[in-house]
Amino acid sequence: MSSVLPHPTASSTAKAAATDKPIVNYKPAIFGLAGVLLIMVAYRIYQQIFAFSAGLDSTAPEFDTYWMNLLKGELVLLVCSWAGLWSYLWFTRDRNLTALKPREEMRRYFRLVMFLLVYAFCVYFTGSFFGEEDASWHQTVVRDTSFTPSHIILFYGTVPLYILFGVGSFIYAMTRLPRFAERISLPFAIAVAGPFLILPNLGYNEFGHAFWLMEEYFSAPLHWGFVVLGWSVLALGGVLLQIAQHIYELMGRMEKESAAA
Amino acid sequence: MSRVALSLLSLLAALLFTEVASAHGERNQEPFLRMRSAHFFDVTWSKTKLAVNEEIVVEGKFRLFKDWPVNLPKPNVVFLGNGTPGPVFARVESWINGQPAIQSMALKRDRDYTFKTVLKARIPGRHHVHPMLNVDGAGPLLGPGDWVEVSGRAADFKLPVTTLDGTHIENLEHWATGRVKAWHAIWLVIALAWLGYWIRRPLLIPRYVALREGNEKALVSHTDLAVGAGLIVVVVALVVGGFVYTEAEYPRTIPLQGGRAVVEATPKSDAPVTVIVDRATYDVPGRSMKIAATITNGGQHSIQFGEFATSNLRFINRAVPAAVAHVDPRYPKELLPRNGLKVADTTPLAPGETRKVELEMTDAAWETERLTSLINDPDNRVGGLLFCYDDRDERLVANVSGSIVPVFMDVASAQMRMTH
Amino acid sequence: MSAQLQEGSVTTIYGKRWSVEMADLSRTLDRLAVAIIFIAITAAFHLHYVLTVGDWDFWVDWKDRQYWVTLAPIILIFFPAAVQNVLWSNFRLPIGGTLCVAALTIGVWISRTFGFELWSYFPLSLVWPATMIAGGLILDAVLLLTGNWFFTAVIGGMAFGLVFYPVNWPIMAPYRLPMEIMNSLVSVGDYIGYAYTRTATPEYLRFIERGTLRTFGGHSAVVSAFFSGFVCILTYMVWWWIGGALSRVVTIPNRLKFAMGMPEEKVVRAEQQA
Repeated sequence: MSSVLPHPTASSTAKAAATDKPIVNYKPAIFGLAGVLLIMVAYRIYQQIFAFSAGLDSTAPEFDTYWMNLLKGELVLLVCSWAGLWSYLWFTRDRNLTALKPREEMRRYFRLVMFLLVYAFCVYFTGSFFGEEDASWHQTVVRDTSFTPSHIILFYGTVPLYILFGVGSFIYAMTRLPRFAERISLPFAIAVAGPFLILPNLGYNEFGHAFWLMEEYFSAPLHWGFVVLGWSVLALGGVLLQIAQHIYELMGRMEKESAAA
Repeated sequence: MSRVALSLLSLLAALLFTEVASAHGERNQEPFLRMRSAHFFDVTWSKTKLAVNEEIVVEGKFRLFKDWPVNLPKPNVVFLGNGTPGPVFARVESWINGQPAIQSMALKRDRDYTFKTVLKARIPGRHHVHPMLNVDGAGPLLGPGDWVEVSGRAADFKLPVTTLDGTHIENLEHWATGRVKAWHAIWLVIALAWLGYWIRRPLLIPRYVALREGNEKALVSHTDLAVGAGLIVVVVALVVGGFVYTEAEYPRTIPLQGGRAVVEATPKSDAPVTVIVDRATYDVPGRSMKIAATITNGGQHSIQFGEFATSNLRFINRAVPAAVAHVDPRYPKELLPRNGLKVADTTPLAPGETRKVELEMTDAAWETERLTSLINDPDNRVGGLLFCYDDRDERLVANVSGSIVPVFMDVASAQMRMTH
Repeated sequence: MSAQLQEGSVTTIYGKRWSVEMADLSRTLDRLAVAIIFIAITAAFHLHYVLTVGDWDFWVDWKDRQYWVTLAPIILIFFPAAVQNVLWSNFRLPIGGTLCVAALTIGVWISRTFGFELWSYFPLSLVWPATMIAGGLILDAVLLLTGNWFFTAVIGGMAFGLVFYPVNWPIMAPYRLPMEIMNSLVSVGDYIGYAYTRTATPEYLRFIERGTLRTFGGHSAVVSAFFSGFVCILTYMVWWWIGGALSRVVTIPNRLKFAMGMPEEKVVRAEQQA
């Protein structure tokens, strides 16, 4: 860790700040959070209206109308959003990171942190809000399909959304920040890949519910795959620590640059 | 607050849906589950329309099938549930053979039991109400369902009880929830205060740098240590004080009751009818099940074959008046296939006689109840109960089970094709 | 202690001089990081909790003197131990335990309200969550006072297990009053669990009050809590280590860096070297 003390002169920083756009722009984060919240509230209201009225019998035509069609829509959205955001981030990457100015790099670090904030917010809806709600639904009714009103929202609605932002933040860091492009951050990879694997782990979950577990209890070992993968979110601590280290180092460079100017 | 929110959301649902229609996914349960596990019969619902706080009695009988599927755990631990969309009714009583069914119990295969469940209407809507057995490892086994309409307001529901120490609880819905909220609030306030005490300071980078540069003393002061010590005192005092106070407040409490109930099965009939299935076929395009069986009347009176029941469908032989008389006019029509049971030879089976009998059940109900998917089952056997009536109109219930063979094409058309 | 002293455009934080702009940026990062940490912990800790001891926490008729008291603290100490390591070892912040249990408490209350109460018709008297904040506070205070993970494991871990039952007793006692129903003795909690149908979660799934219950004078909960405290000590140690491992900054070379705007040969910059 650098021991360079960030102690610029007042005039230099003031000049730099005045001539440049602000480093921290909350707008993307606010839009991201508000958008995610809007989607989640819409999902929850949809459940309130259509779960009991059209979601109890998977053989009924109304189940097809309100639930299977939603699922199909989600799957289309999943493919489009993943392909769209990730390829956008890739094709608009910075192709000359070595020329990156410290102030712009700092700006990108804050954008990355906000990306992570939106990612965490999405993970919250899977791990906590809709995750526990899944228990309330499956313990309330007789499960007759893998695609229940709870699962269609939880696994095919909220999980793809956090994968979108998780992988997106990873690509963002690797394509726009020199330190993350130079070397792959393991905690970052774990914090993104672990929750991502919850989606394929669903195969184990459905296998177990079809062949082993006819009743609903959440503590069943069948569900522990989700638990272990959920632990990987702790690696966000490592990512934040890494970002803090980078930012501190960057502060020193910014100060030097300002002083030189 | 939650009541208000619930009312608002219910109102929203009501605007979009005139009624809450709540069938279960019973049709998607595999046919072998429905044909060869629990057979419910004589099921009645005391009413189909009631208001919030009114009670409905669902009662009847069930037989745990002799030819229980090998891939299902045996009914060694069974709970009498109610197949409703969760707690839209409160279950106030449930009985099996006159014994309380609060707890689970071991039941025997090839034996009959009577059951009775008293449900108190709680959530307005149109609910499908089934009796149901939960069998440990096998899951929910649903009996026949009927639509029950509940009117009124959910907020008016009350479930009062009086405890053995004389405490009258006006409504179990809200019992002691004020304490729950208050204690949670107290602890959360302390937690947020502790977090705020630390988070108000510069956090990540400055503390990281100070620590790496050996300036740890700047990060944790003597005041912080004193506050930490004080926190322990407060927490321990609150825990101990709360516990001691509560012990004094509630001196007579009991642990959760986690035992098993013991129930004897209904005595077996001493006049058995035995059915050996020779060949059973299911004609897929014709939606027709035919069972050729060798039936022996082991009783003292001649019998007729009045009803074949499987998967909560009742195929009634309208040629047998006693069978028709056994059908409650309020019984759900969708569970009484129109074409019923046809028996080729209508001559009564004399006492001691053994005869080859053809039973035929042709109806679209096989399709609508998705029983035709039995050809996808790994254990392709048909199961059901044959209700026989003797010349005194006494009923004898026989098990019917055997392999079933699907017929995928219309034989006449096939022959036509071959001729051409 | 005043963490920050401001003089014009330069400010002193923990004895070190910072420009105001950098201090502001650092504080902005703090705010965002606190939000991320709080939300992420709520998500991951809640997922971990509901899928391991969730059933005991969901239902009033599962909260027994044996398995609930034993298992819940053992499962609950995982995240506090891990997060304490991250926040204490790197930042000397003794808030990991409280942060985790407070986040979990908020997450649980939201889902009990919007999931169990408002969606599935279960009343709060059936689905109230346990409180675990006292244990988190004690863990943090012990770590602060001892400054040592081992003592925190031994003293804090044991306390974490021991306080769980007594801290929940004031909430739970009214649900343990005896009553008679259908000529049988049940507790009020049993009856609430019986009355409000869990269609797919029948009575026999309750994993409660098993074993011989030869509990030295009927003190089942005390024995359970003590055993729980012992396992909490060990669990704390393991999870302190896991927290450290998961939050270590480890990097590996990026073989595709040439496609990401970096030259194939590593550019050595003085600042990066530092």
